[in-house]
Amino acid sequence: MKIPYNEELRPDTGLYNAKLGIWLFLASEVMLFGGLFSAYIMLRLSDPNWANYGQSALNVPLATLNTVVLITSSVTMVMSWVALKLNDIKKYSMYMGLTLLCSFGFLVIKYIEYSSKFEHGLYPSTNNFLAVYFTITGLHGLHIVGGILVNGYFFGPGKKMWDTEPERFTNRIEIAGLYWHFVDLVWIFLFPALYLL
Amino acid sequence: MSSDMKHHIKVYRNVFFALLVLTGFTVGASYVEFGGIVWLAVGVGLAIAFVKGYLVAANFMHLNNEKSFIYLTLGITMICFIILFFMPTIWHSDGLRSPSSIPMQNGEIYEKPSDVDHHSHEGHH
Repeated sequence: MKIPYNEELRPDTGLYNAKLGIWLFLASEVMLFGGLFSAYIMLRLSDPNWANYGQSALNVPLATLNTVVLITSSVTMVMSWVALKLNDIKKYSMYMGLTLLCSFGFLVIKYIEYSSKFEHGLYPSTNNFLAVYFTITGLHGLHIVGGILVNGYFFGPGKKMWDTEPERFTNRIEIAGLYWHFVDLVWIFLFPALYLL
Repeated sequence: MSSDMKHHIKVYRNVFFALLVLTGFTVGASYVEFGGIVWLAVGVGLAIAFVKGYLVAANFMHLNNEKSFIYLTLGITMICFIILFFMPTIWHSDGLRSPSSIPMQNGEIYEKPSDVDHHSHEGHH
């Protein structure tokens, strides 16, 4: 039996089901990251020692590079969806491959940043700022890993669906893209909040 | 290629360049002193982040042309988000001022010295 509303739109919502599903999931993600941002502000404004926690020692050039990498991956992600809309599976593979490359690039840069902190004896338990920094960027990093797993599947074995159900596959890429853009969006706020302000 | 998709590609390219330029602004603004006014510096940094966030949400996530059911979902989310975000402020009757004592890393308790002055100062008025 075919699952309904995978391709055709549900009359009452005007959406295919997975799209509503991902937006409800993203709504819960807003609350998850929102709670952590709220905790960050609370800790920062109420901790008199905050200025001594070495926030200015974070590597801004590396984080800026990571911002550029993530923005680029968002563009290649949306372009992979455009390629499917244009029935060009080869271009889809190229753009999805670039998205994955950028995702791994982001993680490598993050690894370099984390390693340098650990080498200097800076851990989440060191002070309030580092606790916030490692918690939020770590959770964000896990979201990147999640995105890599999903996008990697659609780049590899999951691509077979294009041959049998092209419209459903295109919708899947749109959904994966919505998640990926959200991860990008979170970083857009994390970058100035943790590194620059 | 349909003209609709051509238009999409053009928009995505422009948004990409705008995001890169705004990232430059974000980094650049962090080096500006803003006359020592912290809130102005934070405000400018966050304002640029909001513009970037809007560009991503409106274009890449297609929120500039979405079904009303999704706007409704996000509207409810934003109300919950605002409550969650400001709940700690509401809880603390003295706003976001420092608590009078904080346990520190070395096991000592930090006592806020200005608190005593603050109260005695208030007492004179």
